[in-house]
Amino acid sequence: MEDLKHLGLLMIGILVAFTVVMTMVAYTVLAERRVLGFIQGRLGPNRVGPGGFLQPLADLLKFIFKEDIIPDKSTRFIYFLAPIIATTAALMTMVVYPFGPDVNLPVIGTIRLVIARFDVALLYVLGVTSVGVYGIALAGWSSNNKYSLMGGLRSAAQMISYELALGLGLIGVVLQSGTLDLYSIVEQQAGHLGISGWNMIWVQPLGFIIYLIAAIAETNRVPFDLPEAETELVAGFHTEYSAMKFALFFLAEYVNMFTVSMLATTLFLGGWNGPFVHQLPWLGVFYFLGKVILFLFLYIWLRGTLPRFRFDQLMSFGWKYLVPAAIINIVLTATLQWLGAFDYVARFLKTSTGWGG
Amino acid sequence: MQALLFILFAGLAIGCAISMVAQRNPLYSAISLIGVFIALACLYVTLAAPFIAAVQVIVYAGAIMVLVVFVIMLLNVEEPERQPMRLRSLVPIAVMLAAVLFAEAVFIIYFVQASPATPTRNVSDVGLTRSIGEGLFTTYLLPFEITSILLLMAIVGAMTLARTSGLLSSRAAVVPGDQVFAKEMLDRQKYVDLLTPVTAHSTEEAKRLLGVEDQDQSPKP
Repeated sequence: MEDLKHLGLLMIGILVAFTVVMTMVAYTVLAERRVLGFIQGRLGPNRVGPGGFLQPLADLLKFIFKEDIIPDKSTRFIYFLAPIIATTAALMTMVVYPFGPDVNLPVIGTIRLVIARFDVALLYVLGVTSVGVYGIALAGWSSNNKYSLMGGLRSAAQMISYELALGLGLIGVVLQSGTLDLYSIVEQQAGHLGISGWNMIWVQPLGFIIYLIAAIAETNRVPFDLPEAETELVAGFHTEYSAMKFALFFLAEYVNMFTVSMLATTLFLGGWNGPFVHQLPWLGVFYFLGKVILFLFLYIWLRGTLPRFRFDQLMSFGWKYLVPAAIINIVLTATLQWLGAFDYVARFLKTSTGWGG
Repeated sequence: MQALLFILFAGLAIGCAISMVAQRNPLYSAISLIGVFIALACLYVTLAAPFIAAVQVIVYAGAIMVLVVFVIMLLNVEEPERQPMRLRSLVPIAVMLAAVLFAEAVFIIYFVQASPATPTRNVSDVGLTRSIGEGLFTTYLLPFEITSILLLMAIVGAMTLARTSGLLSSRAAVVPGDQVFAKEMLDRQKYVDLLTPVTAHSTEEAKRLLGVEDQDQSPKP
C-alpha cells in the first residue's frame, strides 16, 4: 500500500513537472520570437490570440498537419530513431532537479518537490546529456545529405569539446559542497535572506562563467550555433527533417536550454532559495522558475546580439581558453578548500538568520 | 519488481549484444553496442551501484562510442556484399574460446549456488560516491596513480604518433589560401627543399615561389 502510494505520487510528480516544463518551453519559443522582434525593432508574432498568446498552439497544429517528407536514400531506421533519442535524452534529466523545498499538502502530507533524489544526480545529468549527442550526429548521418552530415559532424565535435569544459567547470562546485546530490547542494546555498549563500557570487564566479559559456555551446545556441549555421549548411543536421520529426528536434533544443538553465540555477544561483522561503515553502518554486526564466532571457538576448563564431574559433576557444580556465578553477578551489577559506566565508554568509534565511 | 527489472535490462543487453555481432552495417553495430552499455548501466543501478552506472554511461556510451560513431560517419563505409568468410582458420579458435566462456559461466553459476553469498559488511554505503572516493584515495591509492600515469602515457603516445606524419601526407604540399597539391606538381628546380615554409603575401606569390603550374586553364570568375 505504501509502495503504491509512493509510485502514484511519483507518477503525479512526473506528470506535473512534465506539463509545467513543456508549457514553459512552448512559451519560451513564443517569448524568443517576441523578444527578438523587439530587439530588431519589429513586433514579432501577435496575431493568434491576445498578444500572440496562442501562437505555440498554432505552431503545434502546423507541425502536426504538415507533410512528412522522408528522403528516399536515407537510412530509414536511424532517421526515425535520431529525433527520438534527442528528445528523450533532453527530457530525461528533468527528474533530478529540485523544484522547491519540502511542502505541505492538505491530504498527502509533506512532500519533497524533487522527483528522484539520488546520490549521483549531477553525474546522471552529465551522462544523459552526453547521450543526447547521438540524436544530432545520427540525424546528420542518416539523412544522406552533405549539409546534414557536416552539421552532424560539427555538432558532435562541438558537443564533445564543450562537454569537457562543462564538466570541469562543475567540479569546483562539487569540490566545495562535497556532494553530487543536487538537493543537498541547493540546501547548502541557503544564507541571509536566501541570497547570500549562492555559489555564483562568492565562491564560484569563474566556474559559473565557464559553465554558462559551455552550456550555451552544448545547446547549440547563438553564438555557438555552428551545427545549424544556415548561411553555410542550409539548416545543418535537421535539413531533411520535416513536420513532427523536425518539431521533436526543435523541442529537444528548447528543453535542453531549459535543463541547462535549471542546472545553472541549482548549482550556482541557489536553486529554490530566496527571501522568506522558510515561511512560505511554495515561494521556492516561483524563485526556481523565475531564475530559470532569467537564464532563458539571457539566451534570447545573446541570440539577438551576437554574431556566430567561425568553426576554428569555436574549437580553439573551447580547448585553449575554456578548458585551461576550468582546470585553473579546480586547482584554485581545491587550494582554497584545503586552506579552509570556504569555511571562513560560509561562517558569515551561509549561516541562516531568523528573518527569512 | 527487482527480478522484473533484471529480466528487462538483461534481455535488452543480450538482445543488443546479439544485434551488435549480427548487423552488417557498422553503424547499426555501434548503436547496438551503445544499447548494451546503457542496459548494463541500468543493471548497475539495480545492483545499488549508481556511481558505476553513471560513469559507465558517461565514459562508454557518452565518450568512447561517440568517437566510434564519429569515425564510422566520416568513413561512410559502403554496405559490404556477402563475401565468403575470410580467415577460415580462426573458426576453431573461436569455437574453443566460446566453449571456455560458456564453461566459465557454468562454473560461476555452480559455485554461486553451492555457496550462497555472504552479506558484505555495512551494505548501505557500498557503491556510493563517497565510499568509492575514499577507497580510491586511501586503500587503492597506488593502483589509482598507476592507472592515471598509464592513461597520461596513452595520451602523450597518441599525440606523438599523430604528429610524426603531420596532418598532411608526406607527399602533399599546401599553398596557403588555395589548396593541397601533390608534390609531383611542384617544380623541382625552383623549389627543392620541401621542408622550409615559404613566405608570401598572396596565393599567387606562394604559387610562383613553389613553382606550381596552373593545371586548370578555366578563366577565373
